[in-house]
Amino acid sequence: MTKDKTDKYLPLTEATYYIMLALIEPLHGYGVMQKVEQISQGTVKVGPGTLYGVFATLEKEGLIIKVKEEDRRKCYALTDKGRRVLAMQIQRLEIMHANGATIRKNLLEPAADSL
Amino acid sequence: MEKKTVRKFKWFWAWQDEAEEDWLREMSNQGWHLSQIVFPTVYQFNAGDAQDYVYRLDYRSHWKMEKADYLQLFQDAGWEYLQEMAGWHYFRKLARQGEELEIYTDAESKIEKYQRLLAFLGILALPLFLSLINLSDPPYDWFSPIRVIILLIFMLYVYALVRILLRINQLKRI
Repeated sequence: MTKDKTDKYLPLTEATYYIMLALIEPLHGYGVMQKVEQISQGTVKVGPGTLYGVFATLEKEGLIIKVKEEDRRKCYALTDKGRRVLAMQIQRLEIMHANGATIRKNLLEPAADSL
Repeated sequence: MEKKTVRKFKWFWAWQDEAEEDWLREMSNQGWHLSQIVFPTVYQFNAGDAQDYVYRLDYRSHWKMEKADYLQLFQDAGWEYLQEMAGWHYFRKLARQGEELEIYTDAESKIEKYQRLLAFLGILALPLFLSLINLSDPPYDWFSPIRVIILLIFMLYVYALVRILLRINQLKRI
């Protein structure tokens, strides 16, 4: 397996993570904005300034690629490298989540020293 | 009906983009909508019904091809493009319930905007700095009028850079 430094991109920002998730299928910019808001249940919105910058960076780094054009709108999709980076990010998130899940219920009870 | 226009002179420093956005919104709320920036500091407004337009300024330079993609994204997100002036792009949108009114929705991308501005101002400051430290003119006089003027402009640049750096720091999260 070719070793390219995919971990240098990690951790992804929340916006970048969701934008890459959305690009599991080819989408144009506006489609990405709508999908991110929808799948994040409204917790993440991506404005056009933010999206343009993330697209430019991801494309430059070869994590996404233009696949087609639909009425003047460019459609992007993940490259193989992009898919690997996203998979690693998801693994990180799983570890983060597992760590949090074990102590979450304790957090909702008063701390021992406050008694 | 004759279209009423008015021109206003107003000075904003490079680090005051948000103050400029607020001022343009206030003008629209009073029924004066930005129609053109004739020259930096000279704003032209058209009279109309008072509207709550939100203005956003982006700082970016790009190639012609890329600009079409860039503007398409903003247009799809409901932003009207007004114009570019000295690297700043002016957008506006009616503030309505449920509308996203930010073009930058996270701290990281907002910081990048100010970093681009910083890089540009830094490049401009360099020739000024070089002309300041240029000691080659034989009647070496620190207080020649031209040198004092350059020094003042240079100090202003340094102040601008510091203000933008502080803005970036403010945007950084814990």
